[in-house]
Amino acid sequence: MMTILQTANSASFVRRRLDPLGVVVTAVAVAGLFLPFVIFKANRIVPGEGVPLWAALPVWAAIAALVGLGSVLVIAMLRVRGELKLAASGAGLLAVVLLIGLAADTMSPQDDSLARIGIGAGSWLLILALALMLTDALSRLDPGPWTRIGSLAFAMVVFGAILGSGTLNELSILKEYGSRAPAFWQETRRHLELAFGSVLLATGIGVPVGIACHRFSAMRSGVLNLLNIVQTIPSIALFGILIAPLAWIAANVPGARTIGISGIGMAPAMVALTAYALLPVVANTLVGLTGLATTTVEAARGMGMTSGQRLWHVELPLAMPVILTGIRIILVQNIGLSTIAALIGGGGLGVFVFQGAGQTAIDLVLLGAAPTVALAFAAAVLLGSFIDLSAERART
Amino acid sequence: MIEICDVVKSFGDTRAVDEVSLMIAPHTICALVGTSGSGKTTLLRMINRLVEPTSGNIRVDGRDVMSVPAYELRRQMGYVIQGHGLFPHWTIARNIATVPSLLGWDRRTIDRRVDELLDLFQLDPATYRNRLPGELSGGQRQRVGVARALAAKPNILLMDEPFGALDPVTRGKAQEELRIIQQKFGTTIVLVTHDMDEATHLGDRIAVLDKGRLLQHGEPADIIANPATDFVRELVGTTDRAFRLLSLATLGEHVESGTADGEPLEATMTLRSAYSELLWSGRKAAPVARDGTVLGIVTLDGLGRLAARP
Ligand SMILES: Nc1ncnc2c1ncn2[C@@H]1O[C@H](COP(=O)(O)OP(=O)(O)OP(=O)(O)O)[C@@H](O)[C@H]1O
Ligand SMILES: [Mg+2]
Repeated sequence: MMTILQTANSASFVRRRLDPLGVVVTAVAVAGLFLPFVIFKANRIVPGEGVPLWAALPVWAAIAALVGLGSVLVIAMLRVRGELKLAASGAGLLAVVLLIGLAADTMSPQDDSLARIGIGAGSWLLILALALMLTDALSRLDPGPWTRIGSLAFAMVVFGAILGSGTLNELSILKEYGSRAPAFWQETRRHLELAFGSVLLATGIGVPVGIACHRFSAMRSGVLNLLNIVQTIPSIALFGILIAPLAWIAANVPGARTIGISGIGMAPAMVALTAYALLPVVANTLVGLTGLATTTVEAARGMGMTSGQRLWHVELPLAMPVILTGIRIILVQNIGLSTIAALIGGGGLGVFVFQGAGQTAIDLVLLGAAPTVALAFAAAVLLGSFIDLSAERART
Repeated sequence: MIEICDVVKSFGDTRAVDEVSLMIAPHTICALVGTSGSGKTTLLRMINRLVEPTSGNIRVDGRDVMSVPAYELRRQMGYVIQGHGLFPHWTIARNIATVPSLLGWDRRTIDRRVDELLDLFQLDPATYRNRLPGELSGGQRQRVGVARALAAKPNILLMDEPFGALDPVTRGKAQEELRIIQQKFGTTIVLVTHDMDEATHLGDRIAVLDKGRLLQHGEPADIIANPATDFVRELVGTTDRAFRLLSLATLGEHVESGTADGEPLEATMTLRSAYSELLWSGRKAAPVARDGTVLGIVTLDGLGRLAARP
């Protein structure tokens, strides 16, 4: 029987040696193990049936997978060095992806070209758990901006190599890709055009408007209220609202149609995405400029800088980290929102999401959604690093 | 020459500066003193138009400041802002080069000027040129702030508590540097301070402000001896005004004839320091020397007479 002292000791042992997040990671991963690792479908649109990890893999691979995963989870639960956790979770993620490919290979019937192997809920949970562990380890190591950019590039190269090697080719999502590769790249390009184009437009309009709001306080509340209202309109409604006026412009303004303005398609999507992005840009520009130390700005005036010189040489560079933060927000937001453009014929990766949803072909949905998430993530990491780099220069 | 005529500045209901008239002669230092909130900064900033007067006018060398574009006016005056105000994203060299760059000096002249100023303020150019303000101590930043104001060799220098963050030793050095620069270039300086010692030490004239009003304007000795109001008397401090008076002159100006024993005192020493030195070493008199040549003596009695109410 345990004495009170022993209980207290073991409790403090738990507190000292156990990583609370690691316990969560382990719980999620273990739950993932008991859910289907892959899904076997007779064809691409039927629901299909789940297959657990040990049934989907050759025996040797299943044993190796369980042992490997077990050791990663032990590392997750203990308080050990961040580098070790990082390496373990990275290796774990890589292994899960490769195992999914192996499972797809193993399960694919030789003679049945209609059968599909999809990624099961269990795999997703494993990936989620390991990604959680990875990001936690990364953020605890607090890497500098260059390290983050380097890690991102490294991850992209590794993932690109896996895709290129053909290991995952038996997977349903890649079969969906295989049958529409040209369309995929075209819509990806369109998606990027929509996201980056709207961000560029919003920056080009929003930063000057933010500067004007800063200089002329009379404009401030009016502009911010208007943009706030725009933000509250649901995106799909905003697309809809724009159809009528843009169609009218296309029909009545000479030349409008030739530059691509029409009621549906890319133009209303671009306008709506830009409108959504304006508030964060304007607000962050305003906050960045208002937040500058008054002595610095007054010194610039006192030295005899004209108002333009002051803006260009002092205020904008110093406000840049805050402005860039706004741009990061809208870039990530618009990479996601661009998906909806497909609904009004604007194209983008949303095309696959809505096609897939219409056909109940879940892997086609995934073909649109997964790259979108990856793009948003990469954009967040890249811009975050740039912000840190520019803030480094502007520190006081 | 800076002529301030009947200048008023109101912020809403408060009159930060209330009908102030003040003449600042060329090549002199005018110290603006007063308690916190008395309107020193506001008055100073009206000279370079960072604040525009509600009424009254200010002329610099005969020209109304409102008749030239503000940025041009400001480039002709050095300005040391309260709390340094260096540009945090620029190197020390670029900070100092601000006004010369705005005036379009060529690169080489600017570089030479920057190094010259860093030297003058005892900051090794090789070490400090490419540092950012964040990598300097508070006192070093303040000196760079003064160097930046001097960069384009202005005739007029407006300084808002330029030595506020310095320890007494560094402050003394910085004051000496300022005095030397002023004598060398004949700069007209308006110096805001709430340190009465600094004002008496550096100012050719002192202007006392209280609640926006100019209470008294005169030479330090005059202000110490004949404070115009109780407020000025309080500001000057009654307990050590004799010492303040002594700190205004140097030994060289008051040599007595005679002989005395012991270590000679330097002629550049203030009377106040000499008095302290005599008391400390227990002597009634000491020789006074300049560059090793004995000029005469100083006596405790003589100093005592000089410290008495004029
Ligand atoms: N921009 C402004 N708006 C409103 N009131 C102001 C403004 N600038 C100064 N004041 C007010 O004017 C008065 C004088 O301020 P000023 O800055 O000139 O004082 P100061 O003598 O320089 O004080 P300190 O020694 O603390 O620097 C204060 O009451 C201050 O609150
Ligand atoms: Mg002040």
